[in-house]
Amino acid sequence: MDSFTALTLAVFLPFVLAGILPVVEKVLKSRIGWYASAVALLSFVLVSQVASSVIHGENIQGSLSWLPSVGIDLSFYGDGLSVMFGLIVSGIGIIIMLYSNEYMSMREDLPRYYQQLLFFMGSMLGVVFSANTIQLFIFWELTSITSFMLIGYWRGRPLSVYGATKSLLLTASGGLFMLAGFLMLHAMTGTFDIPAILQSESTIEFIKGHELFIITLILVFIGAASKSAQGPFYIWLPNAMEAPTPVSAFLHSATMVKAGIYLVARIHPIFSGTEAWFLLVSGVGIITMVAAGFMAFRQTDIKGILAYSTISQLAYLMTMYGYTTYQHPGIGVAAATFHLLNHATFKACLFLVAGIVAHETATRDITKMGGLRKEMPITFVLAVIGALAMAGIPPLNGFLSKEMFYETSLEMGAELGAPFTLIIPAMAVLGGVLTFAYSIKFIDGIFLGKRPSTSLPDHIHDPGWIMILPTAFLAALIILFGLVPSIPVHNIIEPAAEAIILEPLDLHVQLWHGFTPALMMTIATFLLGILIYTRYDGIAAWQNRFNAKHPMISINYFYDAAVDNAKKVTFGFSSRMQPGTIRTYVTALLLLMLVLFIIPIILLASDIIPSSLNFDIPLYEGIVFFFMIVAALGAALLPRYVPAIISLSGLGYLVSLLFIYLQAPDLALTQVLVETLGTIIFLLAIVKIPQKFKEHITPALMTRDLLIASAVALTVFVLMINATQGIVPPFESLSHYFIEKSLPLAGGHNIVNVIIVDFRGYDTLGEIAVLCLAALGVYNLIHSRGEEE
Amino acid sequence: MTTVITKTVTKICLPLVILFSISLLLAGHNNPGGGFIGGVMFASVIALTYVVFGLDRIKSFFNPDWGNWFAFGLLLASLTAFAALAFGHNFFRSAVEFLHLPFFGEVELVSAGLFDIGVYFTVIGSLLFIFKNVGDDR
Repeated sequence: MDSFTALTLAVFLPFVLAGILPVVEKVLKSRIGWYASAVALLSFVLVSQVASSVIHGENIQGSLSWLPSVGIDLSFYGDGLSVMFGLIVSGIGIIIMLYSNEYMSMREDLPRYYQQLLFFMGSMLGVVFSANTIQLFIFWELTSITSFMLIGYWRGRPLSVYGATKSLLLTASGGLFMLAGFLMLHAMTGTFDIPAILQSESTIEFIKGHELFIITLILVFIGAASKSAQGPFYIWLPNAMEAPTPVSAFLHSATMVKAGIYLVARIHPIFSGTEAWFLLVSGVGIITMVAAGFMAFRQTDIKGILAYSTISQLAYLMTMYGYTTYQHPGIGVAAATFHLLNHATFKACLFLVAGIVAHETATRDITKMGGLRKEMPITFVLAVIGALAMAGIPPLNGFLSKEMFYETSLEMGAELGAPFTLIIPAMAVLGGVLTFAYSIKFIDGIFLGKRPSTSLPDHIHDPGWIMILPTAFLAALIILFGLVPSIPVHNIIEPAAEAIILEPLDLHVQLWHGFTPALMMTIATFLLGILIYTRYDGIAAWQNRFNAKHPMISINYFYDAAVDNAKKVTFGFSSRMQPGTIRTYVTALLLLMLVLFIIPIILLASDIIPSSLNFDIPLYEGIVFFFMIVAALGAALLPRYVPAIISLSGLGYLVSLLFIYLQAPDLALTQVLVETLGTIIFLLAIVKIPQKFKEHITPALMTRDLLIASAVALTVFVLMINATQGIVPPFESLSHYFIEKSLPLAGGHNIVNVIIVDFRGYDTLGEIAVLCLAALGVYNLIHSRGEEE
Repeated sequence: MTTVITKTVTKICLPLVILFSISLLLAGHNNPGGGFIGGVMFASVIALTYVVFGLDRIKSFFNPDWGNWFAFGLLLASLTAFAALAFGHNFFRSAVEFLHLPFFGEVELVSAGLFDIGVYFTVIGSLLFIFKNVGDDR
C-alpha cells in the first residue's frame, strides 16, 4: 500500500467502521469498546506507515477528483507537522477507547458513545491531513459537531446541554470566521491548496505585502483562538467538562483544542515574520496564559482545574508560535512543538487520573477529597508523575519543554530590546509559577493531607487494570521523553518543526545543559511557586469574593446575556412570522410571487397580450378546458372537504389528459399517479377532522383573498402566454443541448430521465434526500403529538 | 371500497402493476419511465391494497419497515455518486457500457441506472412510510 492510500484510509476508515458499529454491537454487546480501540489502532498503524516515509524526508501528497470545476479536490497532505498530530490523535485515541471500557458503565448508550468518538477521530485526522482549506474547514466543523454531541452525551443534564451549546456556538462560529479568512486567502492567491502556497516563496511574499493581509490573519486567528479556547473564547472549555472524562481527556485536552494550535502552526510560514503575527498570537497567548493560570485557583472541581490549566498550557503554545522577528520567523517553533507533544501526554494522563478519582470516589469536588494516597497508591504515583511534569520538575518531559519556553522567551525579549527584555521572560515565569501552584494543588488536594471521613465512600481502591494501564502508559511516556529526549525530538519534533519553518533543523535537547539563564528562571519558578502555594487558598477566596462583588466583570456574564436576548428576539420574530394559520403563509407567498412575476413581464414583454396570439383550440381540448374550470370552481366552492378534494383531484386527472394531448406521456403518467396517491393521503388525513369548514370568514377578508387570487391568476395567465409565444428573451432554450448530448454522453434516449439521473444527478440526490426528510418529518409530527397528550 | 369487485380487481392488479413498475424502472433510460414514476406506481398499488383490504389486515402478514427502503435507496444513490471517485473520476461521473449477450442482443449497462434504482427505492419507501404512518394514526 502506498503512503497516500494509507493516509486516505486512516482518515476515512474511522468513519466507515463507526458507521457499521451499531451492527458490530449486536455481536459484541458491552465489549464494543474493544472494537473501537481496534479501529483507533488501525488508524494509528496507517498513520505510522505515513510517518515512516515522512521521517525519511518524503512528504506525502495526493488528491482525488472531487469538484474540479471550482478547483476543489479531495486532497491530502502529510508532512512532519500533520504526521505528529496524526500520531497524537490516533495514539491518544487508542488509550482513551481502552480506558473507556471500564470507565463507561454497561448501562450507558455505548454504541452512540464509541460511534461519536470514532467520528471525532476521523474528523480530527481529516483536519490535520487536509491539503485544501475548504476540506480543512469541513473536517474542522465536523470536530466541532462531534465535540458538541460528546459534551452533551448525558442529554438529561441541563449543565451538559448548556456546555454543549456553548462550545458549539463559539467553536463553530469561530470556524466561520476562519472560512472567511480562507476565502480571502483564495482571493489573494487564487488557490485553495495549502501546500501550493507553502511551497511558493513568491506567493508568500505577495500575501505579506497584500492589503488584505491583516484582516485575513485576524479572521483565521479567530477560528484558531475559538477552537483552542484562547482569549475571550476560553469560556466554553470549562463548561465542556460536563462530558464524560475520557472525552475531556481526548477532545478537550489532547487533540481537538489543539486544532487551533495546528492551524496556527500550519499558517505560520505564510503569516509569521511580521509584527501583526507577534502581537496577535503571542499577545493573546501571554494574556490567556497568565489569566487562565490565575483563574485555575478558584476551581474546586478537579476537572475544572485541569480545564483552566489546559487553556493556560495551550496559551504557552500560542505564545511560542507567536515569537517571531523579521530575521528569525520561527524562534519558538521547535520549543512549542515539543511542548505540544509533552502536553498531550501529561494532560491526558492527568485527565485519566481525574477520571479514576471521580469514578472511585463518586465526586469531583477537591474540597471533599484528601489523603487518598494510601487507598489508591498506583493512582497516586501516576498523578504525581503527570502533575510534576506539568509543573516542570526534572527529569520529566515537561521540564525540558518549559526550559525551552524560557530560553525562547529570553531570546524574543532580547530581540525586541528594552523594556521587553525583561517583560516577556517575566510573564513566562509568572505563567510557570501559576502552573506550578495548581499542579501541586492537584496532588495535595486529592492525595495528601488528611482523609475526610464524611464526604467520601468508605472503601476506595485503585481501579482495575483496564483503567490503570492506559494511564500508566502515558506516565511511562512522560518519563521516557524526559530521560531520553532524543527519541521524540529526532523522530517527531524535528520533522514537524521543519515543516513549520520550512528549513532543515538540528535540535539538541538534553536533560542537563549547564547553569543557563533558563535554569535560573526554572529555579525562580519553583521558589515563587512554593511561596504562592502557601497563599493558595487565600487567593482562591479573594477571587470568589471578587466574583461575587462584581458579577459583570466576566465574559460568561456577557455570553449568557447575549444568548438569552437572542432567544427572546428570535422567539418574538418567529411567533410573529409563523402564526400558524395557513392563510397568512399563502397570502405572503402569493404576494411575493405577484411581485416576482410582474417585474419580468413589465421589463421583458413588448405587449401585455401578444397580438400574434392564436386562440384556435381543437374541440376536444376545449371540452377538457371547460371541465377543468368546472372542477377548479368545485374545489374552491364546495362546502365540505371530501367533495372538494374529489373535485381537486378531478382537476389533476384532467391536466394529465391534457399532457397526453400534448404528447408528454412521462408527465401524464406521473401526474396520474401522484394525483391518486395525493388524494388517498389527503382523504386519510381529512376523515379525522370535522367535516365542515368551521372557520368564519368575514366579507372583507373574503374580498381581500379574492383580489389576491385573481391578481395572481391574471399575472400567471399573462406570463404563460408570453412564455409560450417565446416572448421571454434573453433566455435561450436549454433543450438543444440535452437533445444533442443525451445519447453520446449518457447513453440514453429518454432525455427527461437522463437529465434526472445523470446531467442533474446532484439535484436529484438532494431531492430524494428531501423526500426522506419529509417522510421522517411526517413521522415526527404524528408521533410527537401523541407524546404530548 | 371493500366490495368483492374491488378486491378481485386488486388481487389481479397487484402483480401486474408491480411488474409494470419494474419495467418502467428498467426502461426508463430510453423510453418513458424511470425510477421516480416506477416508484410512485409501486407505492400506489401497495396503497391500493392497504385501502381495499384494510391496513391492519395487510400488516398481519405483510409489514415491511418502509423506513429501511428509503434508507437503502438513499444509500445506494449516494454510493453510485461516490463510486466514480473510486475510479479516479469526479463526483457523479456516470459510465456507460454496451454488452452483447446471446438471445438478448445488445444490453446497455449504465451506472446512472443504479442511481435510478436508488431513486426508485427512496420514492417507494418514503411514500409508503408516510402513507402507513398517516393511516395508522388514530
